[in-house]
Amino acid sequence: MSSRTDGGAGRLSQMIQENRTRVTVLAVLLFLFLAAFGGLDREDWFSTIMQGLSVGAITFLVASGLSLIFGLMDVLNLAHGEIFMLGAYFGWTIYTRFDTALDIVIPLLLLAAPFLLMPIWRTMASRVGTTAAVHRAIGWVLLLGGGLVTWLSITRFPLVIWDAKEFAFSPGSYSTQVDLGVLAPLGADSFNGAAVVAVIGLLFGGVILALAVSFFQRTPAEAAVSPRRMGAAAGLVLLAIVLHLTKGSINDWVFGLSTSWRFFLAMAIAVAMGAAVGAFIEVLLIRPLYDRPIYQLMLTLGVGFILIEVVREVWGRPEFTMARPALFNGTGEGCPGQGIGGFFSGCSTVDMFGARLRVYNEGFVFLVGILVLIGVTLLLKRTRIGMIIRAGVQDPDMVEALGINVRRVFTLVFALGSSLAALGGVLAAPSIGLSTGMGALFLLSALIALAIGGLTSFPGAAAGAVLVGLLQQLIIRFGQNGIDLPFLAEPFKPTPTLVPAASVLLMVIVLLLLPAGLFGRSER
Amino acid sequence: MTLLAMRDVHTFIGQFHILEGVTLDVPEGEIVALLGRNGAGKTTTLKTAMGLTPARSGTITFDGVDISQRRSFDIASMGLGYVPENRAIFADLSVEENLRIAERQKGDFAKKEEFIFDLFPDLKRLIRLPGTNLSGGQQQMLAVARALVPDNRLLLIDEPSEGLAPVIIEHMMEAIRQLSDRSTVLLVEQNFIVASRLAQHYVIVEEGRTVQAGAMADLVDDEEAIKKYLGAA
Repeated sequence: MSSRTDGGAGRLSQMIQENRTRVTVLAVLLFLFLAAFGGLDREDWFSTIMQGLSVGAITFLVASGLSLIFGLMDVLNLAHGEIFMLGAYFGWTIYTRFDTALDIVIPLLLLAAPFLLMPIWRTMASRVGTTAAVHRAIGWVLLLGGGLVTWLSITRFPLVIWDAKEFAFSPGSYSTQVDLGVLAPLGADSFNGAAVVAVIGLLFGGVILALAVSFFQRTPAEAAVSPRRMGAAAGLVLLAIVLHLTKGSINDWVFGLSTSWRFFLAMAIAVAMGAAVGAFIEVLLIRPLYDRPIYQLMLTLGVGFILIEVVREVWGRPEFTMARPALFNGTGEGCPGQGIGGFFSGCSTVDMFGARLRVYNEGFVFLVGILVLIGVTLLLKRTRIGMIIRAGVQDPDMVEALGINVRRVFTLVFALGSSLAALGGVLAAPSIGLSTGMGALFLLSALIALAIGGLTSFPGAAAGAVLVGLLQQLIIRFGQNGIDLPFLAEPFKPTPTLVPAASVLLMVIVLLLLPAGLFGRSER
Repeated sequence: MTLLAMRDVHTFIGQFHILEGVTLDVPEGEIVALLGRNGAGKTTTLKTAMGLTPARSGTITFDGVDISQRRSFDIASMGLGYVPENRAIFADLSVEENLRIAERQKGDFAKKEEFIFDLFPDLKRLIRLPGTNLSGGQQQMLAVARALVPDNRLLLIDEPSEGLAPVIIEHMMEAIRQLSDRSTVLLVEQNFIVASRLAQHYVIVEEGRTVQAGAMADLVDDEEAIKKYLGAA
């Protein structure tokens, strides 16, 4: 034996010594899970593990963003679950009704263009030299006026959209049409005189709204409008017009794509929109409140409720499904697939170790979860921005004192976390469907996962999410199979209500033994 | 030429009025010692200059530019390096990452690597270790080294000798003397012997106000002032 290996063994035993409670808890958890799986048939325990990992992967996508945001900014974003929900609804819209998504984007582009020219409005606002109160009053008046103009114009804009109240035009029935492969773009509107008024009205409304915001800020702009911003604003308007003129052929092209491509498109766009929503929330709502954490908490809770109501208003109250993309939806000849290769056979299910697995849930979702875990870990460990995030988790002031604009990093991390949640939403939609309650459900699981794993630890978020996922699926499985307990004549069948309760119980036990969670550092 | 000038600076932390009129000048190329008893406002003076606890009133100019209302990262980017009292080493980052994170331009670290490891040869040996595994003295060296990575014109160093063994204090003093060839230093130091051997100028703050300033050589002979403001020398 060389002295080197002795040193290694010594260090290992020292590490175990230092983390005695942690190792014990992990060992007991492992034993309990093994014992629980031992009570199942082989095909049952394999499919239960895979289902647990799948649910764990989605929980992880919510928990990871929550953990990054909480770690870096000390903001517990209670609206995170609703961003997950928005991801699902955005994804469904891109996937199922691309024409509607396009119709909504065009007016938004027009509305956004004036905001790129912010320095102009701010200079204008600062020229009006009155008291702060009058300034604010003008701001409110402009806000109301701008809102009115925008509303009047946007409702005149030609928009093809579903109608949740009419069954034939409801989101659910469009999902069915996708599944049957009969979905077509809705009738294209002609660009009439009213629409021209609407375009001008939207630009005008955007200008008034941007002016209103400038009146609230009251400080003159630091720099004049750069030619690049000018170009970008003009580009947005131009893009909106071009999109409007060519929207018929764009729709035909997208609807001609296979559902698999449309699904990947939906994933990409939903991720981008999640990032945009996250950045928007951070800059506009969270940033002014960094000194007041309680207000932030209440604010994010409120934002969550508002988002739920918005979704109810736009997509309707009833739950609906999202058709699975063709790549994971094959049936008939040669299906289900066999073994690992079966995951690539295009079948909807696959037989493996005697268990029947769903390719989408237990294959694709799990794979994306793993890829995100690897990707974010690489981002944190290997890139400069990751280094800054890790340092900022510990001491944002010192990072700032090194000459790094920490607020920009905050916005970036908020956007990143939100985009991961949105990705989770799109992924979850084809397996669990879309409902306004899905956000709260996964937020709870994610919070529990974080508490178990250690609030600010990224690997902890992954471990906690997998534990929660496995536990939930185990309880569900035992609810079907029953579990033989001593002193009970009948097998015990846990009811579905025990699923969240069991996660909370697991959290309580772990936290009693390890107050900082499995991977967490003790509180600063 | 005066590199950093503070004029009648007032700073509040929450409700507390911590600085009640700090005035000081840091001439370019020299070491200025900021002296005073515990709680006199020395650390807050550095933090205020750095924008971490922004001044409520008064002016702070760096190289003739008013920085009193600028944000911390902006001030740092002008060429200020900060070595805080608690060292603020990033525990999760390796020694190398702790240095690299201070880069303002790609290649800053590569340019300074030799100079830094000449000053603190220990750090070279520890380069892969996480910050959390360093001893107090090593952390202090790393904190100073981190401020040296970019081209900083002024270093604000808070209590570099605190809690260190005498041998390491000697080492640290030598390092500060060497790095002062490259940049100006504003040094907070409780240990008057260390301060008097390093600095050419001094500023004494008492209860958040500047009470006395001048050449260090004069203060060394001024036993009355030393006793009054700094306790026994």
